[in-house]
Amino acid sequence: MSLTLLFKDELKGFYKSKIMIFLWVGLPVVVLLFHLITLDTGPIPFSALIAILLASLGGTLASVMITVSIVNERKGHVYDLFFVRPVRRMDILIAKYFAVYVCVTIAALLALTIGFAYDYGTGGAPEMFLEGTLESFVISLSMLAVYTAVGVLIGVASPSVLVGVILIIYGGNQLSAVPMLLPVVFGTSSYFPLAFILGVVTTIILLTLAIIVFNRKKL
Amino acid sequence: MTDGLVVLDRVSKRYGNIQALDNVSFSIGRGEIFGYIGPNGAGKTTTIRIMVGLLRDFEGAVSIGDHPIADKGGDVQRMLGYLPQDVAFQEWRTVDHALTTFGRLNGLGKEELALRIPEVLALVGLPEERHRKIVHLSGGMVQKLGLAQALLHSPPLIVLDEPLAGLDPASRYQVKNIIRELSRKGTTVFFSSHILSDVQDVATRIGILSWGRLGLVGTVEELKAYFGIEKDIEVFLSKDSGRWKELESIEGVKSIEQTAPNRLFVRLEKDADMDEATHKLIHGLLSVGCQIRSFYPASPSLEQLYIRYVGGEHP
Repeated sequence: MSLTLLFKDELKGFYKSKIMIFLWVGLPVVVLLFHLITLDTGPIPFSALIAILLASLGGTLASVMITVSIVNERKGHVYDLFFVRPVRRMDILIAKYFAVYVCVTIAALLALTIGFAYDYGTGGAPEMFLEGTLESFVISLSMLAVYTAVGVLIGVASPSVLVGVILIIYGGNQLSAVPMLLPVVFGTSSYFPLAFILGVVTTIILLTLAIIVFNRKKL
Repeated sequence: MTDGLVVLDRVSKRYGNIQALDNVSFSIGRGEIFGYIGPNGAGKTTTIRIMVGLLRDFEGAVSIGDHPIADKGGDVQRMLGYLPQDVAFQEWRTVDHALTTFGRLNGLGKEELALRIPEVLALVGLPEERHRKIVHLSGGMVQKLGLAQALLHSPPLIVLDEPLAGLDPASRYQVKNIIRELSRKGTTVFFSSHILSDVQDVATRIGILSWGRLGLVGTVEELKAYFGIEKDIEVFLSKDSGRWKELESIEGVKSIEQTAPNRLFVRLEKDADMDEATHKLIHGLLSVGCQIRSFYPASPSLEQLYIRYVGGEHP
């Protein structure tokens, strides 16, 4: 019961603190600005480019959001009032993780929709850009999942917001690249499903580590 | 040690080389108001964080209503309301939203919350602030909101860490009344405070913690008896000849100190005969040229008892 309640609560928090608006409007706008600057993307459909761009841009946003939120709340002793209630500590982290992931995914979908609309409007046939873009998008989502989990782990372990952001810049990119790069390294033919599975597994490992640290930490 | 609602049994806690708590034991009965005092760093907040289950690596045992504090079923948590020293809420929350979330987490339904939220807000004096964002509240209001969330689910035990700090006199008066009213209805209240006059006002029993050790536990009257305070005398002079120091030789008089101009504080020996010493003292003062305006047994405040205790004075 508490997990659902906490998840809805986090979403409400992102809505009330206007984070959702900045994400949902901001990410598509940034993508459009990117297109205006680069203009000619050659044979790559604009939507496919967006799907790739989302992994790094959306991922950084997600991990910074969650790290800053957790470090601030930890340092401010906000969790004390939760821990003295019948709430499992892990529920707080999982609720926050899914709230951030859902928010960033919706922002990514909005940005991607703009890309599709642009490609379609500029005369591209859907079959030309749809399949490749969707595969890139799913891999981007799995990278976003890893990125967000990195944010949770750094959030619970980092001594300050600044250290947390530095660690994300150092480590977030590298870890989130795991689902994308490992299948290439292994030279597997089934790149897409393996990348997806690796994303899920890496996310679970990172979240488990974060929960262990959170449970042991004196907050 | 087993008939209390809250029982701490030989609780010890170390932070590295520092012994924060050393074999602290006490029990608190239902409806009691237990004031917990001690100097900065004495271990008050550590005791409280152990009591409410926030610190889990300690030695000894803590139970609330016969449930060990480490129980994970949620029964213990539902039995307590807690106000931390620096209460903090997520900035985006409104007062109503914070109370709704905490109430729901404590198992209150929508109908109960619809009744309880206005009730507790009225109790702490924040009925007009229900829909305001917490970030726009003053420090004192946030403190009161902290108290409101602790009371929301009507727990039998309320643990308050410095609940009166940062409140103006009117709010302190209001919070003290809330504490008394809770006790009257059978709720047990445990609170720490640096404002000793307030502790003396409301606490039915007091514990003095010093360097991690719980030195004294008792009512104010019991603490006075412990220090032999009944045998102190306060004298106001209308004329001071300055020769009163000579009277320290009177049998049963331990010391005479001037605490203010024309004001003497006479400490008698523990086994002194109060009537005999008083008689001799009055005659003595008159014989050395002093004139007496008033003369009565001293009734020290909790603050004076506390200063004596933490100053290392033990009978």
